[in-house]
Amino acid sequence: MSTKEYLMSAWSWNPIVIGACAIALVAYAGLAGFKWRARSWYFLGAVAIFFLTLASPLNALANGFLFSAHMLQHMLLLLIVPLLLLLGLPEMGAGFRAPPWLHWFAGVSAMWIWHERTLCDLATRTETVRVIQIISLLALGALFWWPLAGPVERRRMPPLRGVAYLFSACIACSVLGIFIAFSPAGAVCPVYLNPPNQPALLNLIRHDWGFTPARDQQTGGLLMWVPGCGIYLAGILALLARWYGSVEKPEASPAPFLPAHPNAEEH
Amino acid sequence: MNPASTAISPAGIVTDEAAERGLLSWVATVDHKRIGILYLVTTFGFFLVGGVEALLIRLQLAVPNNHLIKPETYNQLFTMHGTTMVFLVVMPALIGFANYLVPLMIGARDMAFPRLNAMSYWLLVLGGLLLHFSIVAGGAPAAGWFAYAPLSESPFSSSNGVDYWILALLILGIGSVAGSINMIVTILTLRAPGMTLRRVPLFVWMVLINSFLIIGAMPALNADIVMLFIDRQLEAHFFLANGGGSPVLWQHFFWTFGHPEVYIMALPAFGMISEVIPVFSRKPIFGYSFVAASTVAIGLLSFGVWAHHMFTVGLGHTADLFFAAASMAIAVPTGIKVFNWIATMWGGAIRCTTSMLYAMAFIIQFVVGGLSGITFAVAPVDWQMHNTYYVVAHFHYVLFGGTLFGMLAGLYYWFPKISGRMLSEKVGRWQFWLAVIGFNLTFFVQHFLGFMGMPREVYTYPDLPGWGMINMLSTIGAFILGFSMLLLGANILWSLLRGAPAGDNPWNAWTLEWATASPPPMNNFERVPLIRGRRPLWDLAHPEQPDSPGATPQPAGETAIAKNKASMIVFIISEGFFFLMLVIAYVYYNRTAGTGPTAASSLNLRRTGVFTVCLFASSFTLWLAERGFRRRSRAAMLSWLAVTIALGGIFLAGQASEYWGLFENGVTVHTNLFAAAFFTLTGFHGLHVTIGLIALLIVLWLSRRGGEEDFRSPALETLGLYWHFVDGVWVVVFSVVYLRAFL
Amino acid sequence: MITQAASDLVLSPASPEAKALADLFVVTLIVCAVIFAIVAGLTAWCALKFRHRGQPGEPPQVAGNKKLEISWTLASVVALIFLFVLTVQAMRISDPPSERTPDITVIGHQWWWEARYAGGAVAANEIHIPAKTDVLVKVDSADVIHAFWVPQLGRKMDAIPGHPNRLWIRADQPGEYTGACSVFCGAQHAWMRLLVVAESQEEFAEWSARQTPAAKTPATPEAARGRQVFLARTCVKCHFIRGVDAEVQAGPDLTHFASRQSIGTGVVTNDATHLRLWLADPQQIKPACLMPDFHLSIGEVGDLASYLETLK
Repeated sequence: MSTKEYLMSAWSWNPIVIGACAIALVAYAGLAGFKWRARSWYFLGAVAIFFLTLASPLNALANGFLFSAHMLQHMLLLLIVPLLLLLGLPEMGAGFRAPPWLHWFAGVSAMWIWHERTLCDLATRTETVRVIQIISLLALGALFWWPLAGPVERRRMPPLRGVAYLFSACIACSVLGIFIAFSPAGAVCPVYLNPPNQPALLNLIRHDWGFTPARDQQTGGLLMWVPGCGIYLAGILALLARWYGSVEKPEASPAPFLPAHPNAEEH
Repeated sequence: MNPASTAISPAGIVTDEAAERGLLSWVATVDHKRIGILYLVTTFGFFLVGGVEALLIRLQLAVPNNHLIKPETYNQLFTMHGTTMVFLVVMPALIGFANYLVPLMIGARDMAFPRLNAMSYWLLVLGGLLLHFSIVAGGAPAAGWFAYAPLSESPFSSSNGVDYWILALLILGIGSVAGSINMIVTILTLRAPGMTLRRVPLFVWMVLINSFLIIGAMPALNADIVMLFIDRQLEAHFFLANGGGSPVLWQHFFWTFGHPEVYIMALPAFGMISEVIPVFSRKPIFGYSFVAASTVAIGLLSFGVWAHHMFTVGLGHTADLFFAAASMAIAVPTGIKVFNWIATMWGGAIRCTTSMLYAMAFIIQFVVGGLSGITFAVAPVDWQMHNTYYVVAHFHYVLFGGTLFGMLAGLYYWFPKISGRMLSEKVGRWQFWLAVIGFNLTFFVQHFLGFMGMPREVYTYPDLPGWGMINMLSTIGAFILGFSMLLLGANILWSLLRGAPAGDNPWNAWTLEWATASPPPMNNFERVPLIRGRRPLWDLAHPEQPDSPGATPQPAGETAIAKNKASMIVFIISEGFFFLMLVIAYVYYNRTAGTGPTAASSLNLRRTGVFTVCLFASSFTLWLAERGFRRRSRAAMLSWLAVTIALGGIFLAGQASEYWGLFENGVTVHTNLFAAAFFTLTGFHGLHVTIGLIALLIVLWLSRRGGEEDFRSPALETLGLYWHFVDGVWVVVFSVVYLRAFL
Repeated sequence: MITQAASDLVLSPASPEAKALADLFVVTLIVCAVIFAIVAGLTAWCALKFRHRGQPGEPPQVAGNKKLEISWTLASVVALIFLFVLTVQAMRISDPPSERTPDITVIGHQWWWEARYAGGAVAANEIHIPAKTDVLVKVDSADVIHAFWVPQLGRKMDAIPGHPNRLWIRADQPGEYTGACSVFCGAQHAWMRLLVVAESQEEFAEWSARQTPAAKTPATPEAARGRQVFLARTCVKCHFIRGVDAEVQAGPDLTHFASRQSIGTGVVTNDATHLRLWLADPQQIKPACLMPDFHLSIGEVGDLASYLETLK
C-alpha cells in the first residue's frame, strides 16, 4: 500500500458525523436568519474542519495507530473547531459567564485528562468513550474560548487580562507537551505501542513515514507544545490587535511611501 | 531642618536636600535617578574590565601558536568576559537606563519601591565583587559563560571558581528579579493621569515586556545553578552521567533561561532606538501598535526556541525540526521592527546627530546579526556552524553591533538630560566612526574564520592558510574599537566639566522626560503636562495638529491595581517558574526507575498526608484571618493567624521528621537521583514555608502591638497571597511526588 | 603541521552529506544577503534622501500604514517558509537514519580522540576510513562533552557522556580531512584536533591489518631499555600497548604510535625531535594536558623514544 492509496481509501463516511454537520448547518442558518455574513465563514470553517477531522484518514490513524495523528485531532477538536464556532455565532444580547478561572480550567483539563494513561487507552478502544471524548473536547473547548470569543461582546474579558489567560494556558499545555515529548515511548498512551494488526498500514507508518513509536510520541508532544502554543499566541496577538485597534485613530495619510514632504527637494 | 528643603517622596521617605550631597549620600540614596546613574557608572566600570579581557583575548589570538597567555588563564579570561558582559554590563546597564528614564517617561516621581530599587543596585555590586573575588580565591571560573556540565562539575573544575560564579549569578539574579518586579509595578501603577498603557513610550513598553521576561527566565537559571551547586557541594549527580545524571538537562535548563536572555539584552535597546529615530526623523514611530505587539510575540516565543542552541546534541530530527520552525517564527516579529524603524525615517527630516548615527548603524549591524541568526535556525546549517567563530561573529553583531550601539544612541540622546550638559558632537562623530570601523573589522572577518572551521573558545590555533591573517585583522579592529571607547570616556568627562548647558529639551523631543529640567529636580516634575496622546510635548507644541484629536486625558477602561498586591503577584509568577523547573527536574529524574530508593520505597504517604492536610487547612484559616481583618475584628484575625502559624509549624515539623527518617535510613542527596531531586524540591518548598511562617509571625507581632484601633497590618493581604501560593505549590508537589508514586 | 587542501572547509564539501549542508548554507546566505541589501539600502537611502537640510517646519506626521505592515510581515513569513522547506530536505540527505552497527566508535577524552573500529583496530586522533564508502560513526565521551566535527565529510555531532550519538561520514576522494573538537572541553580544547585519512579500499584494508596485531618485542638494546622505562616509569598506568600489559584507557593506545602523524592531538608533528621534546616535558608543548612531566633523564627519554619509534 502506498501513501496515496491509503489517503484515498481510509475515509469513513460515518452517518452520525454527517448528520451532526447537517444539523449544525441548518441550525446555524436558522439562528442567523438565513443571511450570509462575513462571520458565517468562521462557522462554515468550523463545520468543515470538524468533518475532515472525523472523516478523513486522520481519524483512522488516530484510532490506535498513530499518536501524533491523535494529538492533531485532539487539538483541532479542542482549540480550533470551538473557536471558529464561537466566532461564527451571531451577536447575542445576553449570555452566561462563569469566573474566568473555571473557563480556563475547563480548557486546560481537557488537554490533561484525556492524556491520562487509562482514559487515553479507553478512548481508542471503546466506542462510547470515544464519543464522550469528542463531545467533551468540543464542549470544554467552547467553554475555554467563551470569555474571549463568546457571542456576547460586552461580556468578554478585557484584552490584557485575556493575554494573561492565554499565556498561562499556553504554559499549562507546554508542560504536558514537554512531558510527552521527553517521556519514554508508551508512557502516555500505551495503546499506540501495540496497534491493531494491519501489516500493510503498519509497514507504511513504520517504514515509509519513519514513525517509530518513540518518534511518534515525541512528534505528538511537540505538536501539543509548539503549534499548540502557536494557537494561543495567535489568540494573544489578535487580542492585542483588538486592544490597539480600539483607540487608534484613522491613518493620517493613506500613502506614506509617496515622495517625502516637498521641502526635502529644495536643495 | 529647613522645611523648604524637605521633600517627601511618594514612598513616604523624607529627603533632605542638604543631605543629598557628598559621597555618603550616593551610598544612601533611594532616588531612582541617582540609582540609575550608579547603575550606569558601575556598568561602565565593568565594561572596561570586560573590554580589557577582550583585548587580552584578541592579543593572544593575533598570531597562530601563540604562547603569550597560558590556556588556563585564557579560559578564565573568556569565561569572565562573557559573564561580565552579559550579567554585569548589558543587563544592568539597560536596567540602569530604565531606572533613570521610566519614572520620568510615565510622569512618576520615583519607582514604586525606592528602597527595593537601592537593594537591587547593591546586589549588582555585591554579585560583581563576589564573581571577581574568585580570582584571588583560587582562580576565576573557566568553564565558559554557559558552564556546560559536566565540565563545570567538581571532577573537571576543581577550583572554587565555578562556586563563586554560581553564587554571584544567584545574587545578580535576585537583584534583577527584584528590579523587574519594581519596574513592572511602577509601570502598572504609577503612570500619570492620561498616560495609558497604549500611550506609554515604546521604551517603557519594551522595559515592561522585558521585565516579564526576566522574572520568567531567571528562575530557570536559578534552578539550574542551584542543582549544579548541590552537585558540587553535596555530591549529588544531577548532571554527572556516571551517577545516572543528565548533562543534557543542564543545557535544556540553561537555554530556557539563555534564549530569553538574548531578548532581555535586546528589547530595551529596541526601545531606545524606537525613541531616538522618531525624534531625529521628526516623525512619530511608524506603526506603534505593530512594534508594541510584536514585542509581546517575541517575549512569548523566546521561551519556546531554546533548543536551537542544542541542534548538535542529538535530540533527533523531530525535535530539531519543531525548534527550527519556532526559531524561524521568532525572526518575524524581530525582523519587522527593522522595517518600522526605516519607515519612520522615510519622509522625515533626519538630523544626523551622533545619537542618530548610532541608531542607523544599529539597524544595519543588528540586521547582520539577525540574519546570521536565521542561518542557525536552519538546523542543518547549525550542524556545521555551531560553536565556530561564525557564532562569535553572530552574537557580537547582535549584542555589540546591536544592543551596545543602541545603548550608545541612547547615551548620546539622554546624557544631556542626565547631566544637564551636551556631549561633544565633534568628538562623538570621531568616536562613532572609529567604533563602526573597529567593530566591523573585529567581527565581520570572524564569519570567515567560521567557514574555515575555526572552533570558538580556543586559546590558540594551528597555522592554517588564512587563519593568522584574519585573526590579526580582527585583533587590529578590536584595538580600534577599544580606543573608540576610551574616546567615549573622554567625551563624557570633558562634557561633565566643560560641556554646553543642555536646557530642558535640546532635541525638541516629545516624551515626558523632556518636560522637566536637565537634570531633573529631586521630585522629577513641578507639574506633569496634560497627556492626551503618545507624544505629550508634540500635542503641547502643536495644539492645531494633535496626535489623537478629541482624545481625553484619561480614557476609561484601565484601572490601577494596588502596588503591594501587584508586586506580590509578579513575585509569585517568578517563584512559580522556579518551582516548575524543580518539578520538571523531579519528573525527569524519576521517569525511569534507577537503582536505590524510590518514592514508593522510602516515603510514607499516610503520614505526609496528615501534614499536608494541616498545610491546606492553614490556607483556610488564613482566609478566615483575612476575613477578620476585613470585618475589623481584631480577635478573629489574631486567633486565626495564630492557628495558621501553628498549622504551618506542624507541617514543617512533619517535614523535619520525614527528613530525619530518611537520613536514618541512609537516604541523602548523594544517594541517587530520586533522593537528590526529592530533597531539592521539597527542601525549597520547606524553605518557602519557613519564610512565610517568619513573615506571619512578624505580622502577628505587629498586629498584637498595634492595639485595639490600629491592629490592621496592610501586609496581611499581600502575605496571604504568598501563603496561598506556597500551599498551591504543595498541591503540585504532593501530587507529583507522593500521589503519583502510590496511586 | 596539519596540511589541508581547501581553506573554507564548510563550503568545500567532500561528501553528499556535507554537500547538502553546504548547498543549503549557500542558499540561506543568498536569501540573507538579499534581505540585508534591502535593509541597508533603504537605511542609507533614508539617511541621504531625507536628511534635514535646513527646511523649516516639520515633515508630514505619518503614524503607520496597516496594509504595508501586514505585507512586509507576510513577505518575511514566505521567505522563512521557503527556508523551512529546504531545511526539511537537507536534514534528510545530510543525516540519514543509522540503524546498524557502527563502523567506528569515537570516544572523546580530555584532550584526545580514541577510535575503536568494528574490526578490532584501535587508533587515536587519526581516523582512517575507506574512501567512497559511507562510514557510520558512534560518538561517545569518557569525561566531559566534546563534539566530533570534520566539516568536509558531514555534520557535527556532540559527544556527550551517557548520551551516545551517531553520524555518517564519507569522503568521495582519498585525502586528508581536518577537523576539531567543537564544544569547549577544558584547558586544552584548542589542541583537540581531528584528522581523517580517507584511503582506497586496499590501502584501508592494509592499514587495518597493520593496526590489529600486538606490538613486536624490541630488537635493539635502546628500544629494549625504552620498554623497561615504559613499564617502570608509570607510563603503563595510563597507556596501553597490546602485548605489553593489561588494558587501560586513560591515555591514547600506543600499540601503533609510530604510524601516527602527530603528537598531542595535533599540536606537533610526530618526528624524532618532537617526540623527545614531548617525553622530556609534555607540559612545555601542551600545557595543562593530563600527561605530567615525569622528569625523565636524557638517557631515559632517548631509550623511550627509540622504543616508541618501533611501534609501527
